[in-house]
Amino acid sequence: MSPGAPGRAGVGIGLRAPHYREILERRPALAFIEVHSENHFGAVAGAALDRVRADYEVSLHGVGLSLGSSDPLGEAHLAKLDSLVRRIEPLFVSEHISWSSIDGRHLNELLPLPFTREAAAHVASRISQAQDRLGRALLVENVSAYCALGAGEMSEWEFVSEVARRSGCRLLLDINNIHVNATNFGFDARDYLEGIDPALVAQFHLGGHEARGALLVDTHGARVAGEVWSLFGDALARFGARHTLIEWDTALPALDVLLDEAHAAERAIESTSAMAGA
Amino acid sequence: MSTLATRQREFARLLLDEARPADAGVAVYRASVAANFSAALAATYPVVRRLVGEAFFAEAARRFVLSHAWASGDLNEYGAGFPAFLAAYPHASALEYLPDVARLEWACHECESSPDAAGFDFEALARIEPLRYAALRLVLHPSVRLIESAYAVAAIHEANAPGRDGVPDRLEGPDFVLVRRVDGRAIASCVAEREWRLLGRIAGGDTLEAALGAEAMGETLAAWVSQGIVAGFTAPPCAR
Repeated sequence: MSPGAPGRAGVGIGLRAPHYREILERRPALAFIEVHSENHFGAVAGAALDRVRADYEVSLHGVGLSLGSSDPLGEAHLAKLDSLVRRIEPLFVSEHISWSSIDGRHLNELLPLPFTREAAAHVASRISQAQDRLGRALLVENVSAYCALGAGEMSEWEFVSEVARRSGCRLLLDINNIHVNATNFGFDARDYLEGIDPALVAQFHLGGHEARGALLVDTHGARVAGEVWSLFGDALARFGARHTLIEWDTALPALDVLLDEAHAAERAIESTSAMAGA
Repeated sequence: MSTLATRQREFARLLLDEARPADAGVAVYRASVAANFSAALAATYPVVRRLVGEAFFAEAARRFVLSHAWASGDLNEYGAGFPAFLAAYPHASALEYLPDVARLEWACHECESSPDAAGFDFEALARIEPLRYAALRLVLHPSVRLIESAYAVAAIHEANAPGRDGVPDRLEGPDFVLVRRVDGRAIASCVAEREWRLLGRIAGGDTLEAALGAEAMGETLAAWVSQGIVAGFTAPPCAR
C-alpha cells in the first residue's frame, strides 16, 4: 500500500455534481470519493467538497495540469491545486501522462505523448516539479489514445514505466484505457500488464467505453465492459489489490448504478485476495 | 526547438483546423475538444441556450471555441468572452437583448465561483471615530456583480430558470441588476437605479462621502451590511 492509503484496498466512485446531495444523505460505504480537482477550485464547490470530506477519504484527480506540455508548467493552476490539497488533505492526488496545451493555448483534452525518450524525460521532470511544488507524491495515469503523436521509440508500457522511474512517482493504471489502446493500436493488453513493475502500481481506474467505427473511445459514459472486468482480474492477479475507482463522467446514471459497479469491483478484489490467501 | 514541442504544435494546428483532412483518430479528438468546450459554455449559459435553441447554440459555441484561444487548464473559467462574441455574431442580431442576458449569466457564474469573505467587522467599526466615517471606503462581498441593461434582462433570466415557462413577467427595461450569492447560489435581482449607482461607486472605491454625496441612504447601507452585500470597510490611516 502507498503511504496515506493504509489498510486494505477498497473501491471508490467518482462524485459528480448531480450526486452530491444523495451521497451526503445516504453516505454509502465507500473506501474513497474521487473528484476532479479543477471542479473544486471555486469557493462554493470547494465548500461542498468539505462536507464530503467530513465523511469520506477523497482522491483529487486533475485533468488540467498539462504535465506533458512543452509550455511552462502552469503556476497559477498549481497554486490553486496546492491550496485545495492543503484544505482537503486527500488520500491521493493524481494527474495524467498527457498534454493539453501548447503555445499558451489550452485544448482541455488529455492528448497522447509520443513514446520517445525525450518525451519521457520531459514529462518526468514536470512531474518532479509538480511534486516539489505540492510537497507530496503524485500518481500519474495512463491515458486512452486514438492516434499516435508521431513515431515512438518504445511501447506504451515501457514509456509509462520510464516516466514513473524517472520521476519517482507511482502509476494509476486505468484498466479500461489499456483495453481501449490495445484495441486501437493492436497490442495485447496482457503484454502491457506484464511490462509494468507491480511496485509502481498504486491505484486502478475502471470506466466505460464505446465503439466508434474501428476505434474504441473512452467515454466514461457506460458500465465497465466484460473484457475490461476480465483484464481487471488479470491486473489484480499480477499486481495485487489496490484502491480502485469507478469513473463515470458522461450520461451520468443513478447513483445506484455506480454503487453496483463498485460492488462488482469489490467482489473482484475479494476473490483475488481470497485466492492469494489460500 | 525540441521534437516534442514541434509535434505538439503541429498536432494542435491539425486539431483546430477543421478544413484539414484527418484520420478517424484525429476526428475523435476534434469532436471531443469541441464537445468539452461547448459543454462548458452550455453549463454557464443555460438561459442563452434556451432562448436560441439547441442547434443555434451548438453552432455559436463551435464558432466561439474555434475563434477564441483559451489559456487555462480550468474549464470552469471558460467563456468570459462569449457575451462579446454574441454581440458581434450576425446570426444573433435580431435578439438585441441576448448579449446582455449572456453578461448576466457570466456575472452569475463568477458570483458562484468567487471566494468567501469574513463577516462584517462591527467591532472594528465601533472603534472608528464617527467624524472619520466620511473617509471610510465600504467593501462589497467578492461575489457581488452589477449588471446594467436597456432590456428586461433580470425578468428574462428569471423566466428561463429551470422549471419556468420562459415567459417574462415584463418586457420593458432598463434593468439595474444586483447579483449576489445566497446559500451558494447566484441570485439576480433588480434594484432601484440610485441604489445600483451607489453600489457602483462603492465598487469603484469611492469614500462614503463621495459615494453618498447628498443622498440619504443610510438605511439602504444598513440593509446591505445585514444581507452581506457590503462585507467590510477600509479606513484611511489615522492622521496624528
